[in-house]
Amino acid sequence: MTNNTFDIVQHYNSLIEGDTNISAPVAAVGSLVKLIEKQRATTMLEFTMIVRTACEKLKEATNNSISLSAGCDVFMQQLARTSHAQSVDECREMLIKAGSEFVQGAGKCRDNVAEFGSPFVRDDQTILIHSYSRVIMGLLRRAVKQNKRFRVYITESRPDQSGLRAAAELQELGIPCEVVLDAAIGYIMEKVDMVLVGAEGVVESGGLINKIGTYQIAIIAKTAKKPFYALAESFKFVRLYPLSQYDLPTYRSDLLSFKEKPGTTIDWQTELLRNNPMLDYTPPEYITLLFTDLGVMTPSGVSDELIKFYLD
Amino acid sequence: METATSPLQSALQSTSPTLSFSSFSRDVTVPLENFIVQLRRGQITEAKDIAKRTAVLMRQVVANSRWDDVLALVNLLKFVGKKLVAAQPRELLIVNIVCRIIHIVNEETSSVELIEDPSKKSATPKSATSPVKGTETPMMGLGQSGAFMAQNLGEQLTSTLKKRTMDMFRLKSSIIQEITEYIEELEGTEDDIADKALEHIHSNEIILTCGRSRTVEKFLRTAARKRKFHVIVTECAPMYDGHEQAKALACPNIEVVVIPDSAVFAIMSRVNKVILGTRVVMANGGLIATSGTHMIAAAARHHSTQVVVCAGQYKHSPSFPFDDDRFNTLVSPDAVLPYREGDLVGAVDVAYPRYDYVPPELVDVLVDNTGGHLPSYLYRLLQENYDSAKDFAWTIHDQ
Repeated sequence: MTNNTFDIVQHYNSLIEGDTNISAPVAAVGSLVKLIEKQRATTMLEFTMIVRTACEKLKEATNNSISLSAGCDVFMQQLARTSHAQSVDECREMLIKAGSEFVQGAGKCRDNVAEFGSPFVRDDQTILIHSYSRVIMGLLRRAVKQNKRFRVYITESRPDQSGLRAAAELQELGIPCEVVLDAAIGYIMEKVDMVLVGAEGVVESGGLINKIGTYQIAIIAKTAKKPFYALAESFKFVRLYPLSQYDLPTYRSDLLSFKEKPGTTIDWQTELLRNNPMLDYTPPEYITLLFTDLGVMTPSGVSDELIKFYLD
Repeated sequence: METATSPLQSALQSTSPTLSFSSFSRDVTVPLENFIVQLRRGQITEAKDIAKRTAVLMRQVVANSRWDDVLALVNLLKFVGKKLVAAQPRELLIVNIVCRIIHIVNEETSSVELIEDPSKKSATPKSATSPVKGTETPMMGLGQSGAFMAQNLGEQLTSTLKKRTMDMFRLKSSIIQEITEYIEELEGTEDDIADKALEHIHSNEIILTCGRSRTVEKFLRTAARKRKFHVIVTECAPMYDGHEQAKALACPNIEVVVIPDSAVFAIMSRVNKVILGTRVVMANGGLIATSGTHMIAAAARHHSTQVVVCAGQYKHSPSFPFDDDRFNTLVSPDAVLPYREGDLVGAVDVAYPRYDYVPPELVDVLVDNTGGHLPSYLYRLLQENYDSAKDFAWTIHDQ
């Protein structure tokens, strides 16, 4: 094979580490562009094979395979579209161009989400956000710039406590914020005017896959009749149709499975971290609206957009 | 008497340096001033009148003012739109129409441009040099081409138009033609909606409706040509619009019953279908409708009765109901508590909100002039009808 010298996984990881603002699908496309720049396939078939195996490798090597696979899918679709090209070189050139444009345009996507979503933030509102999400930060930053005054509750978001990071950033922006326990969502929901969550991936049904805890917030918000808005760039739309929590690609049968534990005394703390899922699936009926860079849409709009993209 | 244009003239010069009064001729300013005065005094209340007059005024702006490029025209339209909205800030219909017209202008310009520029046509035969079918390298990512196009559509168009020195006269006449078609569509809205009546109303059904709505009246009367059914009308105190509606509906095939508003829940168990009119449909599918509608919709949901809302597309608003009260109006409470009861009037606060906000969860079907839709599909219609002009609606109330 021609690409022995180039390790796509390593490149992907260095992209992710090098830029805290890059999201997984964008990094995936960036790595794939780099890959096709390096390799010298001579037939279309070989070319496609190389890209496909690289996608597989990426998905296997990372724990973040849902949004990453969205990036890979976008790239593969683009490859399928450009395969009408006259030669492999031409196809490669066009893919590199389109891919680089995509990577450059990605930051703009987040701005667009913020632009569409910020009118929903009103003066004197109390907002509940979950975990740390760059796109939520973008939206709130924009709202602050528009001189809106609001308060934010942030869930602690165990186990990685990413809520604390969000709180620190919001505090810096001068937004009054409080960090609440994941277990206290029911307690504070009455005081909340709206809920904002990011997304790891938005699936075909319009539901979303996000940091563990999103689903329970959505259920409580629905019970309390509070609007629940999800924010996602359109490159996070993935072609999955999960019917339950256990249909996600990240599902492992050994999670929370009453398995025999080794040893006599069990360290429940480490067991807890090892044995728990990181993502959950929120069905579309709990989502009021999705803010995307394609506009504000209802969950049913997601499948429209996916079909439009993957079926032409 | 001096012409009524002086306040407008000063406003024009003070608020916007790029717009000058010379952009408008008397053919525009006189009807504009008239319309503004009538809006401010609340002399026009009928939804369709407002919509139609706004559209006609917009057509006059296109036809009778001076503009060299599309961007300037859009700015003129926005400027006039803002004046109208300022005259009656709660009237969402004005915003709808202005957005629709701006969208028509953008669409028309881009289609004219496509004809002008054959290299952009997707039907161009593939040459050896053009690698992909259609245009240059396609954009990667979902809907990217569309989203980014809309962003700087105006700028792009202006630059390309200027470059090619397109025949603005032709563009102008085609825009005017499109707007005229739109006005015709507006006029036929009720009939178009009524054409769908037989799909929704069946023989011997019991239908509940509320308040005075010409759209619903036509809808029911069209169905009554072929079918016999019962209609229950809530009277909508204290305006008693329901009485008027009942009178308008009475015909051999419709048996009309008027009930007090308080009896809605009691009667709902017998009702097969609720058919409602509305003032505006918000972007999320919620309704701004005459007060009492929410109660009916909630009762219908309790009994799992289908709620059908008849509203022309011109009533679809591109804005979201960020706060419920903003679009409401408190009208004279005289009908609730007559002023002649002087002692009492001084002692109590009487409020008479004109509208209700009905959340989209309570609406089952929205029937417009193109057919029936789910509220969740509305975002799609809005994209088609307003796409490039939404920002006008979204920013107008933020000042």
